[in-house]
Amino acid sequence: MKFDILIAGVGGQGVVLASRLLATAAIDAGYHVATAETIGMAQREGSVTSHVRIGDEVCGSLIPAGNADLIIGLEPAEAARNIHFLSKDGSIVVNEHAVIPSASANNAEYIPEHVIEFLKENCQETINVDFTQLAKEAGTYRATNVAMLAAAAGADLLPFNPEELWSVLEKMVPEKYRELNRKAFDMSLERVSGMKDPEKQEQVQVQAMDT
Amino acid sequence: MILTSKRILMGNEAIAFGAMKAGLQVASGYPGTPSTEVMETIASHASKYGIYAEWATNEKVALETAVGAAYSGANTLVTMKQVGLNVASDPLMSLSYIGVKGSLVILVSDDPGPHSSQTEQDTRAFGHFSNIPVLDPSTPQEAYDMAKLAFRLSHEMEIPVILRTTTRVSHGCADVVTEDIEPAGRDIEGYVKEPRWTIFPKLTAQRHPWLEDLQIRISDRFSDHFSENTFNSISKGNSKIGIASSGVSSLYTNEATNKQTGTFSHFKLATVHPFPEKAALEFLSDITDLIVIEELDPYLEEQFLQLIGRHHLDVNVYGKKNGHFPVSGEYDVDVVIEGVNSSLQSMNAEVPLLTHSTPVVARENIPSLPVRPPTFCAGCMHRTVFYAFKKAAAKLKKENGKGTVFSGDIGCYTLGNAQPLNMVDTCLCMGAGISMAAGLSHTQQYQEGNYAKQVAFIGDSTFFHSGIAAMISAVYNNADITLAVLDNRTTAMTGHQPHPGIGLTAMGNPTKAIDIAEVLRSCGVDLVETIEADDLGKCIETAKMAIEYEGPSAVVFKGKCVGITKATGQYVIDEEKCTGCNFCVSQLGCPAIFSMSSGIPQIQDNCTGCSLCAQVCPSDAIDLREVLQ
Repeated sequence: MKFDILIAGVGGQGVVLASRLLATAAIDAGYHVATAETIGMAQREGSVTSHVRIGDEVCGSLIPAGNADLIIGLEPAEAARNIHFLSKDGSIVVNEHAVIPSASANNAEYIPEHVIEFLKENCQETINVDFTQLAKEAGTYRATNVAMLAAAAGADLLPFNPEELWSVLEKMVPEKYRELNRKAFDMSLERVSGMKDPEKQEQVQVQAMDT
Repeated sequence: MILTSKRILMGNEAIAFGAMKAGLQVASGYPGTPSTEVMETIASHASKYGIYAEWATNEKVALETAVGAAYSGANTLVTMKQVGLNVASDPLMSLSYIGVKGSLVILVSDDPGPHSSQTEQDTRAFGHFSNIPVLDPSTPQEAYDMAKLAFRLSHEMEIPVILRTTTRVSHGCADVVTEDIEPAGRDIEGYVKEPRWTIFPKLTAQRHPWLEDLQIRISDRFSDHFSENTFNSISKGNSKIGIASSGVSSLYTNEATNKQTGTFSHFKLATVHPFPEKAALEFLSDITDLIVIEELDPYLEEQFLQLIGRHHLDVNVYGKKNGHFPVSGEYDVDVVIEGVNSSLQSMNAEVPLLTHSTPVVARENIPSLPVRPPTFCAGCMHRTVFYAFKKAAAKLKKENGKGTVFSGDIGCYTLGNAQPLNMVDTCLCMGAGISMAAGLSHTQQYQEGNYAKQVAFIGDSTFFHSGIAAMISAVYNNADITLAVLDNRTTAMTGHQPHPGIGLTAMGNPTKAIDIAEVLRSCGVDLVETIEADDLGKCIETAKMAIEYEGPSAVVFKGKCVGITKATGQYVIDEEKCTGCNFCVSQLGCPAIFSMSSGIPQIQDNCTGCSLCAQVCPSDAIDLREVLQ
């Protein structure tokens, strides 16, 4: 078994914590794990990535190009920036909420919707939700990373199920934030539950029309 | 019975646990990415295991502190990054002649890439230079196990041992099997007076042959890879092609060649210096072509080339020196595949080339995306101070036509070089901002009156690290400089360690806080001001006054790092009042504010409520929305 996950985002979005959670869940599931995380200067509002490699054998922590089974993009442009890591059968879970760099960086116009379209064109299994908005509804935008992990587990894109993932979160999240994170976790699970199953999705839409 | 447990550990944490398992008693270090978490982990477990742990003011001091404890028979550790070893190199070069009692392990983290360093230097070369053994682990598990080996080796050979890691080992997390730790206690022999501990030319002359002989003894020991676990291994392949690698490159090699398992012989070296010659000769006896895979310097390659030359062996070597592998930058599986294939093509081997995985989108086909260079955090006090000096210098330029040179330094505030602030004209190494400003002030161009004043910026921790001596020298030599101390009450860049200005030790005990302004006064600086960095107008005024002062002047700007404080509120743009001038965006470069080409700027969630944008807005269109609890 070999399962490679790349988490991409902007410094401060909780990329490192997300990779620690996945790595811990992998150990609890009995696998070897190796992670590579961005720490230090680059974290100051820069692009950050974490590589999480789960498997039966000890290996280096950097995922080779074209090898990732899953990309979790906490920010659309950061997911796209790393899409060359994605394998042909890989999946993407991406946050629709963009973090726009300060205009002083001399950037061309950044249109997040176009980036999401690019991701969907290149990866059939792309789950895109405004997870930041979802986390805000649960109580704080800081729970975006937890919501995205829940979505990946809920959509069956991880080598462990949502319950296994939550039992790790429960241990690692400080008690005072636990309830809030559980809420974000559950809301996210519910949000993706219909996405893989067309019948359920239809129900969700019907419910949405009712309200 | 030794109880073991498996848990996820960062390589740096694994080293700390390995050291504590080995009976660590005294630890000293200076924070530096990617080495910092070793000392942090030890400090947080120190009282539990009876260890003394401290942050020293710099790496030289840290090493010398550990040396003193080791002379008393203690098991000691000193931690730093590769550029920190340069600072500690003075005691290190003498120490190798003298050796130690107890044990002394020097943890040095290298940073190929580099991700957050001034250089890509290779500590294996420093081991070679100073005649000190170097161990090079490839995984967090090996880092744990080799930390224990390092202490054992140091004690037995009476010499310091360097445990050298690279970023992917230091900052990678993995499942690591660790053992239960017994408290070490402080039970040591104590310092015994002997002429051996005082370096003199006569002693050096006596010790040098011992040191050289030691290299051969240790090399032999490292070659003995079957009888003792030195973490070196040789696997035989069915071709005459061999691969030698060390550190994390060994793992990349395994993965790059895993579709052709059995083709190549692989010598994985973990004890890299002194080079295990006997094991290497044995490895070379079966092969005709050798591919050397290593990040940073061609250290192993040179060792192999020498050995092959000395023994007149008929082996071709492929590596950095003949262009098959990059001489700079970080390696990964793809880099290794490219290098191995280039070597195979060059040797006309009848071995199929290695293959890359095919990505869903090739890197070159990714459409252009917004660049996101690292910059000051939203709400960082440094932005206010740099902006204040920019404004003060512009005013002076207008008044008297003189320009100002801004010398930066190493820390978060190096990011003052980013646009639109663009306020770092020189940056070299820690403490150099002050000395370089002094040097600039003694040049003819300055003397002729073309420049207003040389301004140097330094952080609080860096001031204690190497700023004080530079400032004393500047004052003594009549350098006309202005020093801006960016005191955000922590060592921010490396993860918020305490320093002498804080009043707290690494182990969390209260201690005397050293006042930077008082130090500056006692260094002979006549104008020393201390102000809070939150009032831009006052910062500009003070900056201008300090620059205009004749003779050395200093301003200590006090604020708090946003990394360890809570946001005080969030600002919003009043759409009615905003004229769309974009001044807030174009002047400050705050990552919380952005603007599309059309429309008014917006403020994002990461705003901390520092108010700088509201202070610069010409239309008074930025308001505080809510005060967070």
